Amino acid sequence: MAKIFLDGKPVEVAEGTTVFKAAQQAGIAIPHFCYHPAFVPEGSCRLCLVEIEGSPKLELSCSTVVREGMKVSTQSPTVREARRGVLEFILAEHPLDCPICDKAGECKLQDYYQDYGLTESVFREFKEKREKKVRIGDKLILDRERCVLCTRCVRFLAEITKTHELGLFERGIHAEIGGYENEPVRNGYSGNLVDLCPVGAITDTDFRFKTRPWFLTKGESICPLCSRGCNIYIDYHPGFPRVPGSAKVYRIRPRTNDAVNGPWICDHGRYGFIDLQQKNRCQTLVWNKGERTAEWSWDKVLITIGERVKALRENGKTNRISLILTTWLTNEELFLIKKIFKDGLGVRNVFFADPAPGPEDGFLLRSERTPNRRGAREMGFDLKAPDLNALVPDTDILFIFGPHFAGISHDGAWKPALEKIPVKILVTSHLNELASTADFVLPAAFLAEKNGTLTNADGRVQKIAAIARACFDIRPESQILLDLAREIRLDDSYFGALSAPEAVHHELVKEIPFFGALP
Amino acid sequence: MSREFTADLKKRIEEITARYPSRQAALLPVLHLVQGETGFLSAEEERAVASILGLPPIKVREVVTFYTMFTRKPLGRFHLQVCSNLSCSLAAGERILRHLQAKLGIGVGETTPDGKYTLTEVECLGACEQAPCMMVNFDYHGNLDPEKVERIMEELK
Amino acid sequence: METKVLTKDFGLDHLYRIGVYLEQGGYRAVKKALTEWKPEQVIDEVKKASLRGRGGAGFPAGLKWSFVPQKTDKPKYLCVNADEGEPGTFKDRSIMAHDPHLLIEGIIIAAYAVGIHTAYIYIRGEYELIARRLEGAIGEAYAKGYLGKNILGIGFDLELYVHRGAGAYICGEETGLLESLEGKRGNPRLKPPFPASVGLFQSPTVINNVETLANVPFIILNGAGWFLERGSPKDGGTRIFGVSGAVNKPGIYELPVGTSLREIIFTHAGGLKPGRALKAVIPGGMSCPIFKADEVDVKMDCDCVAAAGSMLGSGAVIVIDDRTPILDVLSKVAKFYAHESCGQCTPCRLGTSWIHKIVKRMAAGKGRADDVETLVRLSTNIKGRTLCPLGDAAALPVLAIARKFKAELENTMKGNA
Repeated sequence: MAKIFLDGKPVEVAEGTTVFKAAQQAGIAIPHFCYHPAFVPEGSCRLCLVEIEGSPKLELSCSTVVREGMKVSTQSPTVREARRGVLEFILAEHPLDCPICDKAGECKLQDYYQDYGLTESVFREFKEKREKKVRIGDKLILDRERCVLCTRCVRFLAEITKTHELGLFERGIHAEIGGYENEPVRNGYSGNLVDLCPVGAITDTDFRFKTRPWFLTKGESICPLCSRGCNIYIDYHPGFPRVPGSAKVYRIRPRTNDAVNGPWICDHGRYGFIDLQQKNRCQTLVWNKGERTAEWSWDKVLITIGERVKALRENGKTNRISLILTTWLTNEELFLIKKIFKDGLGVRNVFFADPAPGPEDGFLLRSERTPNRRGAREMGFDLKAPDLNALVPDTDILFIFGPHFAGISHDGAWKPALEKIPVKILVTSHLNELASTADFVLPAAFLAEKNGTLTNADGRVQKIAAIARACFDIRPESQILLDLAREIRLDDSYFGALSAPEAVHHELVKEIPFFGALP
Repeated sequence: MSREFTADLKKRIEEITARYPSRQAALLPVLHLVQGETGFLSAEEERAVASILGLPPIKVREVVTFYTMFTRKPLGRFHLQVCSNLSCSLAAGERILRHLQAKLGIGVGETTPDGKYTLTEVECLGACEQAPCMMVNFDYHGNLDPEKVERIMEELK
Repeated sequence: METKVLTKDFGLDHLYRIGVYLEQGGYRAVKKALTEWKPEQVIDEVKKASLRGRGGAGFPAGLKWSFVPQKTDKPKYLCVNADEGEPGTFKDRSIMAHDPHLLIEGIIIAAYAVGIHTAYIYIRGEYELIARRLEGAIGEAYAKGYLGKNILGIGFDLELYVHRGAGAYICGEETGLLESLEGKRGNPRLKPPFPASVGLFQSPTVINNVETLANVPFIILNGAGWFLERGSPKDGGTRIFGVSGAVNKPGIYELPVGTSLREIIFTHAGGLKPGRALKAVIPGGMSCPIFKADEVDVKMDCDCVAAAGSMLGSGAVIVIDDRTPILDVLSKVAKFYAHESCGQCTPCRLGTSWIHKIVKRMAAGKGRADDVETLVRLSTNIKGRTLCPLGDAAALPVLAIARKFKAELENTMKGNA
């Protein structure tokens, strides 16, 4: 450990720590553009300069390593003046298009401008004219006038993806970021460039001009699109009163977790999540009866389903209930299914239908394109794929969770098989051709709309939270399951106590301590 | 699309790369060599150089656009590079540039329509004792006045 | 005492051929150093001689060599900085054109002293013909066994290559040079680490200017004492002053370190043209703060010029006469640094450009009363805050001109709308 003095206060930090990180640990924020913890310090923005006693010049906090007894001032008049000077240079050439800039509200340049109290501009020259709309990727637009040349994007593509799509061309005031002969950034991680950009130079076409950051609430969650379990922020717009459909998830951003995803997420997760949140959602409760389709209320559907189950139970035939599950279900949902169907009703026909595995990319994206296979396994489920021959003759009631069963065969062989089963109940957040075959379709919550935990492939149990609210009448699977337990009068005292989301997790951990390892 | 270098050029490139522990280090000399052969560095040449040195083409473009001596568009057969820095301007160097502009009928940075001359204003050429000076391709000419420029141009024909 | 040391034989025909060079006693210093001295003795002697870098910063050469670790599992490199780009400077070109073997001798001795087996001469791209001359000389040196394997049979190997730049002043900055030599943009590196420990190809590296190395053979042959006698106590030897601008005899003048600036201008360079008076002098290349006419009684060694508020730099003396508006000088300074800023760090990229824009406007007759003040403020915001010394090189001359010629500049602006 080394003891240093930051703005007069003694601070103990590990040897080899940079002044910047030492300050960060002490809760002192030092302004910066080019520095990013994932890269080797570059020292080009000159904003993080600090005063170190005994040093004739201001020193870079991002690259200077602490020495025992070092006295650092992060806020001295000289330091503030130097930062003001750098900001003045940047602002002289920076366009004043904040009112239409997507970054406004979360722009570092805006923040620092506030912090360093710049007022009047003395720049009376012509600003450089540069291209404001360069398409650099499938969803990426570069505005060269806004760029502060921190080169984080270039370094990300050189050091992290090693794909080198962007580079630095020309020099001096003419220096600019660009791709080679308009070849786009296309490497499965392009969205990170938008997060990395400290200003509004790189924007995302999915987000561009759609909303403003200050309307969004940021919720912590986990990406479900593979078994890596990347930590994410879900940026959600709670909607304007009287504007239908204005409540919406607008962006997914990485949430740094060095043990899982570092500061990055992949495009498959980032954009896939939004697509899933917004497209093909199952919105209405449906009862298909012959040629007739009726929209029912939740109460009526649950009573009806409950009666069917009760009828089997009275005849001692609950083993004629079968389940097709998915590992998109949370640990808590799987636990309730286990308690109700396996332990409570003695159901033995349990299958899993998951999205087909995809190629691994050698970085974050794993081949398991589902978030909770590990959780299901730890719960004691046998993750066998649906066997139609075993399933059909033994089943009177089939519960299908999730839409993925439709994907198990491309020839649609499941369809005639399903038609032989008397009662098919589909609980799903997304619609596909399964819905027309099912007798009951129950719209369930998508991941952003429910609480719970997921277990990634490495066995990390991580929290998801109900951040968004769907603007149609859905229920989380856990609620549907508890409602059903109530309808069939299954151990009222046990299930009745599980209505709070934490209660299920608590019970789960009590029974299977593995799930207690919640970080 | 990528161009294929001749066997001779490839051999010379390999001679250059042998001087360094990394192939990338040969980039500047190789670009000089290729530009000497082709006159300028189009994307085709950039890609070919990138491939022979094992670099992403963008690394070549980054370098080509950084250095003033590399050009991505064709130059005239005679590249007139006139110094406009302090020592030359103290020796009335500006009139050399004006004289050449008038004579060739082109502006600074332009090439005559016949592709014969390109006129460039450059920073200090390191020949200030002979100010004002200019470079024609790689030949230095110093102590210039309009008459001497005329004589030099005469010889270029 | 004969003052000419390096340039003594420059008048000889074909001095650049090894035959002529050997006839003048060439490569005797290499023989002496390699066969009679231990490497550390060479370093000690160069230290004692107070040989200071001739490139601009004036760093003691022997000290620089001693920073390189003796024992390392990496190769060590010597880079010769022949990227002579500081406006007003042309001395290294003269050395390389007239006497390339002198440089090669210096290189061999420096490499021997530091234990280096690969050296590159990084020469500015425009010096193509000189690069060819160097390559010719290197070929001759290989043929005579002064380069290559087992030099002089003592088991010392040295490979020497010429590497041409391609037009970028910043590559004269030592870490910009290293980047460029590695085949990249010449963006300077953060220091530390310093090149002596992590330099070319991540290995310990010495970077010396051409003139610095060309002095080394004379130190070996004549000793540190002899060398010191020719200069100042903390700054030994002679310097090749390159005089240009408004003098009668522009050219190179090899004079003892410490010769007065007045003597250089009026005695050696023949003074100003008839009817013209001295207005100002830039003493060491464009990056060095300007002296007014009454400041030229300064001794030209690193410390004295620094004490007078400027720098000896590369010893490039640019003489400005009374008919030259100071705004013209300022315009050239502002244009040059805006053009040569690599663009990597914020204050230099945007500051040099802003200054250039202001000065262009002033030159177009649209200056405003507070422009000079703004120039001072902007230069102050660049000075000491950039990644590499180019920021200071750009800011200091503007500051000096704006301060010392404030009245003239403001006068120019009078009458502007």
